[in-house]
Amino acid sequence: MTPSGDNVIYAENLTKTFGAFTAVDHISFSVSRGEIFGFLGSNGSGKSTTIRMLCGILMPTSGYGCVAGHDIATEPELIKKSIGYMSQKFSLYGELTPYENLRFFLGIYKVPARQWEGRIRKAIEMTHLSEIKNRLTKDLSQGWKQRLALASSLLHEPEILFLDEPTSGVDPVTRRHFWNFIGHLSRNGMTVFVTTHYMDEARNCDRLVMLNKGKTVISGSPSQIIGSTCPDRPNADLNDAFISIMS
Amino acid sequence: MKTKTISAVARKEYYHLIRDFRSLYLAFAIPVILILLFGYALSLDVDNIRVAVVDYDRTDLSRDFLNSLSSSPYFLITGHLRDLESVSTELDYGRITLAIVIPPGWTGMIRSDKIAPLQIILDGSDPNFSNIARTYITAFVDRYNNRLFEDYLNRHTLGKIKPPLEGRIRVWFNEDLESRNFIIPGIIAIIIMIVGAILTSLVIAREFENGTMETIRSLPITASELLLGKSIPYFFIGLTDVLIAVLMSQILFGVVMKSSFLFMILASSLYLMVALALGLLISSVTKSQLIANQGAILLTYLPSLLLSDFIFPVTNMPKILQILTYLVPATYYVDILRGVYLKNLGFSEMWPNYAVLAVMVLMLMSLNIVTLRKEGL
Repeated sequence: MTPSGDNVIYAENLTKTFGAFTAVDHISFSVSRGEIFGFLGSNGSGKSTTIRMLCGILMPTSGYGCVAGHDIATEPELIKKSIGYMSQKFSLYGELTPYENLRFFLGIYKVPARQWEGRIRKAIEMTHLSEIKNRLTKDLSQGWKQRLALASSLLHEPEILFLDEPTSGVDPVTRRHFWNFIGHLSRNGMTVFVTTHYMDEARNCDRLVMLNKGKTVISGSPSQIIGSTCPDRPNADLNDAFISIMS
Repeated sequence: MKTKTISAVARKEYYHLIRDFRSLYLAFAIPVILILLFGYALSLDVDNIRVAVVDYDRTDLSRDFLNSLSSSPYFLITGHLRDLESVSTELDYGRITLAIVIPPGWTGMIRSDKIAPLQIILDGSDPNFSNIARTYITAFVDRYNNRLFEDYLNRHTLGKIKPPLEGRIRVWFNEDLESRNFIIPGIIAIIIMIVGAILTSLVIAREFENGTMETIRSLPITASELLLGKSIPYFFIGLTDVLIAVLMSQILFGVVMKSSFLFMILASSLYLMVALALGLLISSVTKSQLIANQGAILLTYLPSLLLSDFIFPVTNMPKILQILTYLVPATYYVDILRGVYLKNLGFSEMWPNYAVLAVMVLMLMSLNIVTLRKEGL
């Protein structure tokens, strides 16, 4: 594998150690434009560490990574401009209204002021936030907060969207809406990199990588993975595949 | 560095500020309370020393001595007591600082040109105060002595003889020797340091505690943009506090600047930046609002009060403490303010102090940037 024009995310032997602990152990993969790429694994398998390295937040210990054409070790600032990132823990400002939160991000991403109203209107319509835009963010329900976080990571119209466990703590209906929305983004050419530990959700991805203890266990499309792990069970799903790999 | 990024951070910080009234109360209550407390309670001037007298002599001369004592503004005769026993009771209860006992036959001794003893008892439990009281009473006795001496010379027709020396004292800078003129600059220094450092000590720690630091890390923003954006609202609050302090000292205490207001504001801005940078540093090192808050109080209030030449003269300190005072920003600011308030000094005389404050700002800001870069910014 080499970084090519079509690979918007490319990782080769990406490794991160914290002292004696190896969180991510020589992971290699590539993601092409417009793909929904899923990162699966149990808690502590290295999903968040990988995503944080790809977003330019964490410096890799060794290995090479390239996101949107920029080296993750030397050009984190350029990466940050071309991606949207939604972290695992809700991390917007509770004392600000959704509207003020969105304005904050527009300012940081240096979006020209004359586009602000349009972008905010678009983000609010896309994520159906209009009825709550002037309440304090800390008073919103988990589902609203999640939508707001998504809206704010899309404001600057990034090439790639990184979502770290975006649907944890969200009800099934909202989750369904959420995945429909991600599908919509992908059809419009956005690359979506998503981590999850819900196997039913992972079906929505074009391709998957399963991680265990920082290492890649298996990769491929959902049906490829099911086919290769449970060849004798035609009705198997990703859950069965996951269990058979881990056991 | 992009102004758009900085102003986005500043705007966000402003929202935090107006929605958290506690920090706003803090920002405006601290200066008012400190000015009132220090301005009214802390007076280093000694007057109205409470005196009790026992007059065993009861002559015209002893009465004249006591009358001229009570007409002095420094002494307040609170009682004419009957005996020494009641003097010691008064001293025990702290109702008087000074007691004067005129022995029987006092006038007789003076008239027969003998030395007439006068017993003066002083409560020494507050050494500072009693030292000043001792100087005052000694001077008073000397002056009365001179009068008696002149009477003696006149009686013996030697009136033309005068003492050869006469010291003519003229006080410069603080003509009335009002300690308030000296204290006010120190209060302003303490107020700015406390308000500046305490308010900013919360702002980085808050990002860590609420998990929003992770968002900041994922955004294209540099450490210096974040620091500047966060400082701006607090800079304006700090300047407002300077104005409050200046107006209150002028209106309530009549302390007026002799030099230009511009020098004052320039020095205050620099000093305020030191305070803000110090608060931010404490905040990003501790990552906890509670610890940062307490750290900020400890690191700003005590050194500014004790080691800035505000109340406690640096020249009287042991060498090691004297060296420490060079590290305290308030030392330089108080010096500038005394120049501005008392001596009509401007930038040409005071520029080294301005320079030290500017260097402190740069050093603290660099430390801040290094600390935040380690946090992934």
